[in-house]
Amino acid sequence: MVGASEEVELNRLENQVDNGGGGVWEYLCLVRKLKVRRSDKVLKHGLSILNDSKKRSKLGGEEWTLYEQVAVAAIDCQCLDVAKDCIKALQKQFPESRRVGRLEGMLLEAKGLWADAEKAYSSLLEDNPLDQVIHKRKISMAKAQGNVSAAIEGLNKYLDIYMADHDAWRELAEIYVSLQLYRQAAFCYEELILSQPTVPLHHLAYADVLYTLGGVENLQIAKKYYAATIDLTGGKNTRALYGICLCTIALGQLTKGRNKEDKESSELHSLAATALGKDYKYRAPDKVSLLTATLGNLKLS
Amino acid sequence: MAEDLVLDTAIRDWVLIPLSVVMVLIGILRYFVSKLMRSSQTPDAKIVKEGQIVVRARNLRAAANFIPAKSFRSRRAYYSNEENGLLHVPKGQAQNPQAQMFSDPNMAMDMMKKNLSMIIPQTLTFAWVNFFFSGFVAAKIPFPLTQRFRSMLQNGIDLSSVDVSYVSSRSWYFLNLFGLRGLFSLILGEENATDDTQRMMQMSGFGMDPSKSLGAEKDSLDILQHEWALPKFEQRAEAVLRKLIK
Repeated sequence: MVGASEEVELNRLENQVDNGGGGVWEYLCLVRKLKVRRSDKVLKHGLSILNDSKKRSKLGGEEWTLYEQVAVAAIDCQCLDVAKDCIKALQKQFPESRRVGRLEGMLLEAKGLWADAEKAYSSLLEDNPLDQVIHKRKISMAKAQGNVSAAIEGLNKYLDIYMADHDAWRELAEIYVSLQLYRQAAFCYEELILSQPTVPLHHLAYADVLYTLGGVENLQIAKKYYAATIDLTGGKNTRALYGICLCTIALGQLTKGRNKEDKESSELHSLAATALGKDYKYRAPDKVSLLTATLGNLKLS
Repeated sequence: MAEDLVLDTAIRDWVLIPLSVVMVLIGILRYFVSKLMRSSQTPDAKIVKEGQIVVRARNLRAAANFIPAKSFRSRRAYYSNEENGLLHVPKGQAQNPQAQMFSDPNMAMDMMKKNLSMIIPQTLTFAWVNFFFSGFVAAKIPFPLTQRFRSMLQNGIDLSSVDVSYVSSRSWYFLNLFGLRGLFSLILGEENATDDTQRMMQMSGFGMDPSKSLGAEKDSLDILQHEWALPKFEQRAEAVLRKLIK
């Protein structure tokens, strides 16, 4: 996750670097530290350092880190020749390294040679069966090939050991959602909420899944999680506001006739609607009419 | 009361300074030797998994109130049921670290390597110092000390009439042995300066038992009361929205 202040700093540095103001190395370090994906910039500016032997030698041992970074960026940009050169240089320096082996595997992946990449990763795993990154690469490779069931299987196997890895849980949750396996996805999102209880996005996603599952109980829970999202984001999340409205409507339909809980919930619903209206007026005034129409429809139906 | 001893400058040139220099050089040499002998140990899958289980169970305990009661109960059963719960450690299977060490020769080997790089040079230097420099009064510290420091500063001299602020050569060796850490961290980089005192601490901390932390985690999970926090959030969200609308 990139914090707001870090992002400001990153954008400032990127601007400076783009306009030739120096600080290229600092920019690249920050990109690496925050793990953001700005491959085109990294490729352009990283190469400018690597091609200048004076600048390159000034880095000392960090030179190889830069080679790795540029190689990954080049793979991302499909500049396979550049990536190949970088990896070759790294291999000359570290002939036995597993980390370089991983880069080679990624290059094979980028070329679309799935079988070869698979073979490369498997041989790396033989050396060190607990290499998390390579396990993840194998899973993402399965996903890239469209083999979702293999990806799910791989993720389950991975999570059996590394069960505290919340990024893997999120990936699994998203795959399950894409396959409409909402119960499984709900479990993954619960796991995410447990590991990061203050991240509103997990609450929101969990609420979405529960809302989609439907049923009175799930809808009630979903509404609570939308409320939690509103609380955590300070009411700035449009999706959560809509979620509250939709949940209330759906609940109202389901519990028609025995409206005993209607009273207490109606307030939150109307508040959310008002907040939505205000937000639209402020940020997209031309769409206010659409909003009022939608909300009106919801109430009628 | 005691008249000052006059120390020969030759003692400074041939005992005090060489001793310190040799200690520093030996420390550096030992660092490189231990770097050569260090084997990169691959962690066991089971140990990794146990660590991850503990983290996950701790997460569950900390944030239990954020998930619905049903989900919490199913998770708790998954972790701590008596048949195959993740946190349940069958009796007898919890091996103590000593036994584990003997069953795994690699671990014993590792310990031995560490010990070798620590003990052998130490014994050798101590023998060397004892042989060549025993009995010298090598230095004088510029402030007076109480009698209790006699055993620390005048090791190897059995004279009670010498003032305590005089340091014997053997004590100078000990002072160097334990006091050069700052210098090493300067020369070898911050994290590389593992001196002997630190290593001894590591040795004593060796017997950490992962199965024990699993059991502790299970117990605290068992007594946890689940109280769903989300109903409160609805009111809080209302308050937030009210504030926003105003």
